[in-house]
Amino acid sequence: MSAIIRVEHLRKVYKVGHEKVVALNDINLSIEQGEICCIVGPSGSGKSTLLNQLAGLEKPTRGSVYIGKHNISQMSEQELAKFRQAHLGFIFQSYNLLPSLTAAENVALPLMFKGVPRKQRMELAVQELKRMGLGKRAGHKPTEMSGGQQQRVGIARAFVSKPKVIFADEPTGNLDSQTTKQVLYRMLNMAKEHNITFVMVTHERELSAVADRIITIKDGNVESNLVLDEASKQAAKQEMFRDILEKQMPDEPNTNQPLQK
Amino acid sequence: MKISDLLRLSTDNLRRRKGRTALTVIGVVVGTFSIIIMISLGIASNQQNEEMLASWGDLTQITIYNYPGSSAMAEVPTLDDAMLDQIRSFSNVVGVTPMYQAMNMTAIAYSGQRDRYMTYLWEMYGVDMDAMEAMGFQLISGSFVTSDMKFSKKQIPVVVGEHFAYSFEDTRKSYNSGKRQRYWGETDALGNPIPPFVDIDKDKMVLRLTAYDSNGNEKTKEYELVVVGVFLQDDAKGYFTNSGLAMRVSDLKMLSREYQTLSGNRSQVVMGQSQNQSNGYESVLVKVDDVDHVADVEQQIKDLGYETYSMTQIREEMQANVAKSQMILGGTAAVALLVAALNIANTMMMSIYERTKEIGVMKVLGCEVKKIRNMFLIEAGAIGLLGGVIGVALSYLASALLNNLPMISAMLGVNLDLSGLMGGLMGGMGGMGMGGAISVIPPWLVLLGLGFSTLVGVLSGLWPAVRATKISALEAIRHE
Repeated sequence: MSAIIRVEHLRKVYKVGHEKVVALNDINLSIEQGEICCIVGPSGSGKSTLLNQLAGLEKPTRGSVYIGKHNISQMSEQELAKFRQAHLGFIFQSYNLLPSLTAAENVALPLMFKGVPRKQRMELAVQELKRMGLGKRAGHKPTEMSGGQQQRVGIARAFVSKPKVIFADEPTGNLDSQTTKQVLYRMLNMAKEHNITFVMVTHERELSAVADRIITIKDGNVESNLVLDEASKQAAKQEMFRDILEKQMPDEPNTNQPLQK
Repeated sequence: MKISDLLRLSTDNLRRRKGRTALTVIGVVVGTFSIIIMISLGIASNQQNEEMLASWGDLTQITIYNYPGSSAMAEVPTLDDAMLDQIRSFSNVVGVTPMYQAMNMTAIAYSGQRDRYMTYLWEMYGVDMDAMEAMGFQLISGSFVTSDMKFSKKQIPVVVGEHFAYSFEDTRKSYNSGKRQRYWGETDALGNPIPPFVDIDKDKMVLRLTAYDSNGNEKTKEYELVVVGVFLQDDAKGYFTNSGLAMRVSDLKMLSREYQTLSGNRSQVVMGQSQNQSNGYESVLVKVDDVDHVADVEQQIKDLGYETYSMTQIREEMQANVAKSQMILGGTAAVALLVAALNIANTMMMSIYERTKEIGVMKVLGCEVKKIRNMFLIEAGAIGLLGGVIGVALSYLASALLNNLPMISAMLGVNLDLSGLMGGLMGGMGGMGMGGAISVIPPWLVLLGLGFSTLVGVLSGLWPAVRATKISALEAIRHE
């Protein structure tokens, strides 16, 4: 296995008024191709900032982020847009579906940006939704769906273009524990199935138990970078997804709760 | 990302905010409507001016005045046949003819038994018969005098005015009888038109010069008038096309010489002959191929030193007047469109503010910045275009209403006196009340209206759209 994400001496300093806040001090790490990687840490540790840096949403103060052979820290906005189209997927905490579009249209968005013809991309989007157990919801608007369903649309959107890397920022943060497990289960399965590197930020430590690698951030530095062994991963998965594995994933779980803020 | 996708996204967004889109569009409608109506009023009054001018005189004709002392310039070259040739050679000149009059000559035409009917030939011109057709003179019968026509020395071929025959009077009747003259258009008790005394096609007409020599003896000389053609009356070309007559310049000069011989007054000047002290023809008409070339040709003639007159000066003045009032009205309309533009900008700003998060999401998902910008530009342009289309439709409607006001008010049974209103509204545009169209919308104005409103939309969307692209993706996602 080779490193797909490489971070070298990454530093990010924010200016808040006249004060400088060091969000990331000096980060060095690498993530292997096809890994499930969890970035954990207390709030304010800089884990979200790190994810944004990895995804190229912000320019670093110093240092570089490589994805594959590309130094995304030096890309122009236009190059980044093209790079995201081709190689990256995103899952947001608050789903961020476009309210005017149907579920299928939302899923098809990345394909639209790529220039895939409408008919073709809508077929792919509906396929992806079916895989997420939302085949009957393809024509629904986001407001007509529960939080768990919306997030599954969000996941379908991230996976539809089969990117190399998917970044997820607290993807289950707004969901109840039962829905969280189902959403997590689907994400992990999809990632493994397509050998997609999956980088997820979470503050719920127990979720990270299912990851291949756990990176702990504290005060802007990497506190630990842990690769879990196969046995403990299997045990954790068995434990966490027991209910789901027993029920074999019904299409519309009635435990889904609408989004609550 | 395909254009069709951009269009779909933009129109979806406009439809999402129907109320706001409608209000913004109404702003553009008002702006486009008022500009189109204002311009259409101007076009209409220009058209009416043209018609009015054309009824006053030929727009493509220049008159050269060469009366003694009429020019401010000391040295005016002789306006002789050589000079006419020179003017004839100017580009865009299609015809030149002298309007030669034998000033001091008295000529009378007689007809009927023992010269019963007679008329004074005041409106008698010597012209270049070969140029008449090019000059725009029209005939209702016969032809102009041509060189292959043969006439004896005692015959003078003429082209007479349409109602020349009515100029004869009956010398047997007294001046008070009311029967001495007949007029064209008169009818008898049965409603039949009363014919003139003389039938120019059948009756023989003679032209008699009468002069008195130094001893007071009456001397006369007679010629036969042969009518070869009859003018179509056109007062814009000259009154002689109604009741006068025209002949070859050479014939009139010959008559003039004969008259002097009769009167024994050899010192009198024969116009148009350069060997005399005379300064040549006193009046010459120049025909130009197009209205737009008149000013140019006229200037060339002025440069030769002659006084000229054409409708161009008055036409330009009128156009300038219309342009002035159009500027004022158009300016007012432009303010309306400017407000509409600000309105569009405001709507787009609101729309972008509301959709900040969407913009962020799209950026993160790999949408290129310029596509986002184009999406908003298309939205703004669509508002402009939609407003333009409705504005054009409404202005067509208003134009039709304006042009049919008398009919509409008659239908409603309302007696509208609009002369005051129109006068106030048009303020010096002139030509109103001539019965022509008040508002004219040519196709180019429709295209202009649509193009302009769309342009206004796109331009007012430009700044908001560029702002939208500057929003940081990260901040946009966090935006609530």
